[in-house]
Amino acid sequence: MTIKAGDEFPQVQLKYIPFNATNPDACLSPQVLDTKKDFAGKKVVVVGVPGAFTPTCSAQHLPAYVAKADEIKAKGIDLIVFTSSNDFFVLSAWGNSAGVEDKIIMAGDANGDLGRATGLSVDFSKFGLGSQRLTRFAVVIDDGKVEHLFTEPDPSDVTVTSADNILSVL
Amino acid sequence: MAIQVGDTIPNTVLTYAPYNPDHADVCSAPQPMNTHDAFKGKRVVLFAVPGAFTPTCSETHMPEYATRAAEIKAKNVDIVACVASNDPFVMDAWGKAHGVKDSVLMLSDANGEFGSAIGLVNDGTKMRMGPIRLARFAMIINDLKVEYLGVEPARGVTVSGAASVIAKL
Repeated sequence: MTIKAGDEFPQVQLKYIPFNATNPDACLSPQVLDTKKDFAGKKVVVVGVPGAFTPTCSAQHLPAYVAKADEIKAKGIDLIVFTSSNDFFVLSAWGNSAGVEDKIIMAGDANGDLGRATGLSVDFSKFGLGSQRLTRFAVVIDDGKVEHLFTEPDPSDVTVTSADNILSVL
Repeated sequence: MAIQVGDTIPNTVLTYAPYNPDHADVCSAPQPMNTHDAFKGKRVVLFAVPGAFTPTCSETHMPEYATRAAEIKAKNVDIVACVASNDPFVMDAWGKAHGVKDSVLMLSDANGEFGSAIGLVNDGTKMRMGPIRLARFAMIINDLKVEYLGVEPARGVTVSGAASVIAKL
């Protein structure tokens, strides 16, 4: 049961550490990101990646979204969220290392709730990442409804889930 | 039924990204490491943390071991290793963030096999950290037998810290 365009995006709780504009080195308290309540009435891009600090995710996927975040938001997107099966401390550190600041919410799905609810979990054991990891995907959600869903046919590559491709459909 | 002093550590597979001195910035492909193969006939200091990049682990626990690894090895220890429930890419990045290079082996118990086998895991679901997280502890293992085990009773770093372990070497 994998989600598809036209579906309601499932309601799960992810966690993230907000960016601290006044003192970027100090961690603010973690916040819950509710994918129903916090996305209501908004246009949101959610990008799932196999792993924070992994080669493709770090070298290609995240930096492009950081560079194009303003462009994406100028096309009517209210929130950009990056998520993976890592915990929110790891997502926060990864975001800091990539200079994300407040452009993208780096939310952790360590409990696997989003993976289970969307059916977008795959077995990455052979890469040393574990048997239930979010695959590489990008979804455009409009007031809770999935408008576009792209899943990488080869999760170690970035093609249809890239920032450029998302921009082309907005 | 947690592991105790005198017990033999379980034979499980952990993973790690080997340190490559020629390409120190690049993440090498994760390799499996069988605990019995890697630790047989050796004296090992193994410390476990609930999470890479978390406050206590990053500010207190890891830095003490990173700065004192050489001191520990000078006391007849062959390997200093850190293990957590994070995946090997995260462990590699965390080790790099603390400049450990090859002084501390950064091990991943991502599937929770090792932690479950020794009975030292906690459920982190309420904190959204996942259902299986290693507790905070330090072990001195001599030819696969537990010589010292310090499991932290509460928040903070005491019996699992580098100073406590060095005092026992």
